[in-house]
Amino acid sequence: MQKILLVEDNEMNRDMLSRRLQRKGYSVVTAEDGEKGLLLARSETPDLILMDISLPVMSGWEVTRLLKANEATRHIPIIALTAHAWVTDREKAIEAGCDDYDTKPVEFGRLSEKMESLFTVKKL
Amino acid sequence: MILQNLSIKRKLTLIMMLTSSIALILSSVGFLIYDLVSFRHLLTQDLMTQAEIIGYNSAGAMEFKDEPAATATLSALTAKEDIITAVLYRPDGKIFAYYFRGKTTLPAYLPSHLQGKGYRFKAGYLEVFHDVTLNGERVGTLFLQSDMRQWSMRARRYAGILIIFVLVSGLFAFFVSSKLQGLISNPILHLEDTMRMVSTNKNYAVRAVKSYGDEIGRLIDGFNTMLSEIQQRDTRLQSTNGELKTRTQELEEEIFHRKQTQEELLNAKHAAEEANRAKSTFLANMSHELRTPLNAIIGYSEMLEEETRDSGKIENVQDLRKIQASGKHLLSLINDVLDLSKIEAGKMVLHLETFEVSQVIEEMVTTLQPAAAKNGNSIHVQLAKNVNMMRADITKVRQILFNLLSNACKFTDHGSVSVNVEQIKVEDRDWIQFQVRDNGIGISARQKQNLFQEFAQADASIARKYGGTGLGLAITHRFVQMMKGQIGVESEIGQGAVFTVGLPAQVVIETADSAPSESASKLAAVPAETKTGLETILVIDDDPSVRDLMSRFLTRLDFRVVAAANGEEGIRLAKQFHPLLITLDVVMPDCDGWTVLKKLKSDSELAEIPVIMVTIVDNEAMGLDLGASNYLIKPVDRDRLAVLVEKHRGTRSSTITDDHPLPLSRVADRQADSKPAVIRVSRTRRN
Repeated sequence: MQKILLVEDNEMNRDMLSRRLQRKGYSVVTAEDGEKGLLLARSETPDLILMDISLPVMSGWEVTRLLKANEATRHIPIIALTAHAWVTDREKAIEAGCDDYDTKPVEFGRLSEKMESLFTVKKL
Repeated sequence: MILQNLSIKRKLTLIMMLTSSIALILSSVGFLIYDLVSFRHLLTQDLMTQAEIIGYNSAGAMEFKDEPAATATLSALTAKEDIITAVLYRPDGKIFAYYFRGKTTLPAYLPSHLQGKGYRFKAGYLEVFHDVTLNGERVGTLFLQSDMRQWSMRARRYAGILIIFVLVSGLFAFFVSSKLQGLISNPILHLEDTMRMVSTNKNYAVRAVKSYGDEIGRLIDGFNTMLSEIQQRDTRLQSTNGELKTRTQELEEEIFHRKQTQEELLNAKHAAEEANRAKSTFLANMSHELRTPLNAIIGYSEMLEEETRDSGKIENVQDLRKIQASGKHLLSLINDVLDLSKIEAGKMVLHLETFEVSQVIEEMVTTLQPAAAKNGNSIHVQLAKNVNMMRADITKVRQILFNLLSNACKFTDHGSVSVNVEQIKVEDRDWIQFQVRDNGIGISARQKQNLFQEFAQADASIARKYGGTGLGLAITHRFVQMMKGQIGVESEIGQGAVFTVGLPAQVVIETADSAPSESASKLAAVPAETKTGLETILVIDDDPSVRDLMSRFLTRLDFRVVAAANGEEGIRLAKQFHPLLITLDVVMPDCDGWTVLKKLKSDSELAEIPVIMVTIVDNEAMGLDLGASNYLIKPVDRDRLAVLVEKHRGTRSSTITDDHPLPLSRVADRQADSKPAVIRVSRTRRN
């Protein structure tokens, strides 16, 4: 069972997305801010991280940068979840080291495709 | 000549005197001459008569050689004072008898020979010869000589009288002419006085007084007419001058008012722009806030749908789908509003890249295939051979094509939608022309007018029937404008529509906005420059116009200005340039000023750089708590900014050089770090 870390500060989004992921058959760990997300990523070593960008305490960029800078967590694929259409967000996401990004509100089908493709890459 | 320079009075007097005197003298002399000539003639006649009488009386004595009788006869001449000599000659020429006044001897001047009868004037004497006859026989000759004393006495007397007469009449003429010349000279002198008065005092109200109706009178009349003409003109001129002055004053006042109004208008415009920006920012934020609950609505309804389907309650699935569809529609509305507000707030920027046109077309056609299929439409693509690469903002090109194609699919039922792409050359520039053609319901002329306006769907009923926000074409239009392209439409009701978009094959970004970033990138390329010369101030603000204004203002104060468009870039540039101080905006996308401030203050390398907050957010306490040195609220009071900035000038000059020789490892780090950063700077420059 693939383990997903969902870092999202909005409770409803967190709840909804985690339940949908669970329904899809993933095991889900959640964090409501950047710092907790960072700690959980290190302790839980998830197979993939869904990272909201505008997070309290520590932003998604910062968490991503730290995770990608760390040998232990560098390999974990990260999908940034950004606000709509801020093109700079997309670029920043790539720059910070995210493997992919998706815009919110999440279109679940599209997101699962992206996740699957990252898993495939990882397996290769 | 002296005469010519005499005053008119003198001249007149002189002329009159001379004229009258000369006339008098000439006439008197003429008369005198005439009188003397006729008097002499009279004397001559008289003397000849005397001679005849004496000749007659002495003819007998001559005949009879009676000398004493002849002498006695001659002696009678004593009564005639003027006869000084009387001689009787015998026919042989010998003197027979004689008479000399006052003398007894023969005077030497007696004529030596006798002449025929007659008279002559000789040396002031009148001499007469007369034949003495007796019974018709010449018996001798009488010679009479007169000294014409009456004549000369008369002449002297006349001369005297003449002189006295001339003198007296001259005096009289002088007196009269002195009086009479006034007739002519006085008016002229008066005229002269008047003229002098006018020319000295510039008083055109003065008038010359007319004394007589002669030429001078007319001259004065003319002069007065001229004066009144001048006076009228002068009055008119003065009143015009007055009017002009009043008008000038009015104009000055008007200019002043206009300037004031202009200033007010400018302020109002700035306020309006600011308000508009605030509105757009608000809309952007609002839209963002709206999305979060929508997220939940769509997400939960999707989830519920799945769960409901799994549990077999099919009857609820339709309703859940409606919730989803409405949610998605609402989301697209919000996205469009967000797009538009970003464009209006000036936050929509171009990200240029070079890409293959065919790929984008393919992508969009694939994306829109389901939408086309829904109405039973087919999409045809025609790509000209000369179309391959273009440089533009690919996301916006995608969105433009998406909007046009989805519109075409939406408004066409069981028809065809075709995309035609070609490269054309207009005015030496290459353009990529996209043409989206459908054979749907078409657009009326009236609808066309507002086609590219925000919230202007062709018809309210259309919104009900076809959905949509009415923002799609407005956004498309704005995107095309941003890339300096053109958009047009040809359509008639029921005849389908052809939308044509032309974009430059090589989109370039205007330089006005990029000036500060450009200088920043230049500086980034040559960081050594900062070690010498001016002290650096880092301006962090997402608004290009603020960056530009601050740069100009601070440059005038002799600072080197480095500008950053966002917090991240700001922090990077702060590390790179180690500026004297930083001005920081609060409201910025992605990474707000508070976050930037926190980061700056938590970085030991940057913590001591003073930060002046320059923002519209009124929260000084927060700024100072987070470590800002000063807090300025936009619009910035420049004087205050200048004072604050000057306060820091020179305070760090000694440390700048110390800061730069970094340990080798850190230099290496920075170079490694700066690689993506440089890319970002060059990208910003293109904005």
